[in-house]
Formats: sequence, structure tokens, C-alpha cells
Amino acid sequence: MLWWLQPLILALLVGALCPLSGTLLLVQRRLFQANLISHAVLPGLALAVALRLDPGVGGVVSGVAGALLAEQLSRGDRGSDGGDEAVLNTVLAGFLGLGVLLIPLLHIRVDLEAVLFGDLLAAGASDLVRTLVAFAAVLLLLGLRYRQLVYLGVDPMGAAAAGLPVRRLRLLLTLVTAFTVVSAMSAVGVVLVIALMGAPALLALTGALSLRQALVRSAALGLVISGAGFGLAIQPAINLPPGPLIGVLCMGLLPLAALRRR
Amino acid sequence: MALVVSNLSVGRNGDQVLDAVSFSLESGSLTALVGPNGAGKSTLLQAIAGQLPIGSGTVELHGATLLPALARRELALMPQRGEIAWDFPITVGELVDLGRLVAARPGCCDVEAALQRVGLVGLADRRLDQLSGGQQQRALLARTLVQPAQILLLDEPCAAIDPPSRTALLKVMGQLRDAGLTLLVSSHDWGLDLDAYDRVLVLDRTVLADGTPGQVRQALGDLRVGNHCCG
Repeated sequence: MLWWLQPLILALLVGALCPLSGTLLLVQRRLFQANLISHAVLPGLALAVALRLDPGVGGVVSGVAGALLAEQLSRGDRGSDGGDEAVLNTVLAGFLGLGVLLIPLLHIRVDLEAVLFGDLLAAGASDLVRTLVAFAAVLLLLGLRYRQLVYLGVDPMGAAAAGLPVRRLRLLLTLVTAFTVVSAMSAVGVVLVIALMGAPALLALTGALSLRQALVRSAALGLVISGAGFGLAIQPAINLPPGPLIGVLCMGLLPLAALRRR
Repeated sequence: MALVVSNLSVGRNGDQVLDAVSFSLESGSLTALVGPNGAGKSTLLQAIAGQLPIGSGTVELHGATLLPALARRELALMPQRGEIAWDFPITVGELVDLGRLVAARPGCCDVEAALQRVGLVGLADRRLDQLSGGQQQRALLARTLVQPAQILLLDEPCAAIDPPSRTALLKVMGQLRDAGLTLLVSSHDWGLDLDAYDRVLVLDRTVLADGTPGQVRQALGDLRVGNHCCG
């Protein structure tokens, strides 16, 4: 049995999926939401474990709840004094803290290190299914709402004036982001997922003629980075956890992105 | 009258931004909406377009109350430059084509014809951020032409572009007026470009002056508000 095959497939799927969601968020100037959701999944995950439910479902619910709470408390017009940034960061820390507190309060065992930084080699079939569901959700959103997302990204006020369902579109994007974060949990962990969502997207967007082109490029880049990270990590001479290695490789893309933007 | 605004008052974040604004627009006219920063020009355009709740007063289109659904069909709002993500990965052609997304019926032009009307033929495949500021504004204007709207609300389309581009844009707007469209265009410009408009509305929370460019200059002199407006 090829012990590495299932983790590799998962790494490749997550590697293509995260940049897709990341690109969508980046062009809507909402990438921070991925960071918030990735931290906000913890309370739901802990509750789901305590209730013997699928931890992924709990994570999605909790992540979306965190994002909606932050959106509700933000005014959206406090860019200059950083007020909204303070709200977002506080909700992020609050949800993470709540999750950490729930673990002893509910008398449950959660491998926090695996949740935060991933444990690709221990991933099972349920992780694969979760990732495929998230992939399907992203592709469905793109298939049904691509032009609306383009309109919303390039001209949010015009999109609202034109009668596009702006709030619903943003909610769908939040939902898809939560799915993505939870599905990447076993591969790279909820903390490192932001690197896989941001770096390939940043590089892919430079010079892309359309959002579609940027999406394809970012998914391809993510796939290569994730596959390479996994391949390197399992080399006997290296033998490091794949998740953090993928995160470091993503950081290596940033100078390339900076060069291309000049 | 195509559009009649009566005693319109609008508040934002607890502040009264517009107070008893009244005016009307004739079909096939080009009207400038001028006023100092914070005068409420953008608020007025957004309120007419159904983007902001109206405190009191009415907006009527051809005698019918302008509800949001009707506004979306009959009006097109071109936002200020600052509202647009110019670095978004999109070609000029794709941007203009977005206008068709909201069209229940076809507008006056298809993408090709709209680009021709604003003088951007041959640039459809160019990425939006590779255009000059004036060309970008014309691309946005082309998008509104693809919509079926008869009334165009343009929020400072001539801001932050060079004089030749401004002249070209004013010419295009004049041609659209001649083609029967009704344009209400907010502007900071108090110079000679005002003469390109049929009519000028001066706004500072309420309408201070309303008439031809010459009449408005005269009225502003009488009101002695010119100095504080013309910065």
C-alpha cells in the first residue's frame, strides 16, 4: 500500500482549492476574512467533538458565525482610524480564546497542534470527502455567480446600484471560505491555511487579464507548492511536517510577486 | 419632465446631508451638479438611484414614484473613481459587458457600439489598469450605455483626469445628450467647462442656484458663495 498516496491527493486538492478561495477574497479585498474564519472555527470544532458530531460541520458554523459577528460589529467606514481592524482582530482573538477555553470546560481531547498546524500524514477518508465538498462548493459558486462576483469586485457601489444581491454574494463567499478553511485543517492547519490562500493568489493576479485566468493560475501554483511541500517533507533526509513546510514555500512566492508587480 | 425631485431630504450617520432639495430634469438634457466638498452631490445621486434611504420628499420618473426596481431599470449610476478597483483583473470589454448583467432588456448599444461611442474602439482586450485615467472614465461610461437606462447619473467623471481627456469626455456626454439621453453630472469644475452643460445646479445641502451656466454665475455672484465653492 502506498501510504503517502492519500495524503498526497489531499495535499494537491487543498493546494488547488485554497488559492481559488483566496483569489476570490483578495479581489473583493476581504482576505482578512479567511484569517478570521480560520481562527473562529475552534469553538464550533470543540463543541462538535463534545456532541460527537462531525468537527468539520461545527467548524464551518463557528467560522461563519465569527465572520458574521465581525461584519455586524464593523461599520465598514472606519478605515482611517483602524476601528474596523480592531473589531476584526478582537473577534478573531475572542473566538480563538473561546475555543481554547471550551476544551477543558467540556472535558474533551482535541489535538490543538494538529488543528493549528495540520497533520497531513494522519489525514483520513473523511478529510478527503470534506475537501471534495468544499471544492464542489467553490466551483458551484464560480459557475453560478462568476460575473456577479466580478462586478462586485471591480465596482461594489455600481453592483449594489445595479441591484445585484451584494449581501447574499458576500455571505456565499464567507460560507465557501469557511468550507475551504475547515477542509484545509488536516493538511496545513487553520493557522497556515492563510499562506496557501494568499501567496499564490497574489502572484497569479499580477498581469492576469481576467479573474478566470487568475483563478486558474493561482490553483495551478497552489497545487505545485502543496505537492512540492509534501514531497519534500516526506523525504527521509528532510522528514519535516508538511503543513509548515508548505507555509514556508508560500512565503517564498512573495519576492516573485513583488518582482512581477514592478 | 423626465425626472422630478421634490423636497428631498436625506440623512447619513445622523447628519442631515440634503435638505429640501427640489429640481427637475428634462429628457435629453445635460445638467451639471456642482458644489463644494461635502455639499451632498454624491449623496443626491445615490439617493436618486435608490441606493440611500430617503428621509422625506419624493423622486418621480415620468410622473411615477421612483421605486428601487424602477430606478435600476431606468437609471444608471457611474460611481466616483475612488469607488472602482482599477487593479481588478479585467479587460475593458469585460467591464463594459458587465452592464448587460443588469439589463432586463438591451440598452442602446452592445459592447462594441458602446466602446465606439466613447472613442475606445480597439481597446476592448486591454487590461483596465493599462488605460489612462480619461480612458478609464470613458470605459465606465460605456458600461452605463450598455444598460437600458435613459437617465445617466455620473459622479465626478471628469475628476483627476487631464484637460484633453476632460474635453473628450465632455464631448461624448454632449453626443449622448444629442442622442436623447438625460445626464446629471456632478462636478467640481467651476471654469469654462461649465459652458458645455445646458444647465447647472449648485448644491450645498440644498439647491442654491439653478439655471444656464451664465445665469448661475450671476446668481452665485449675488449670493457671494462663489469664493467658498470654487476651491
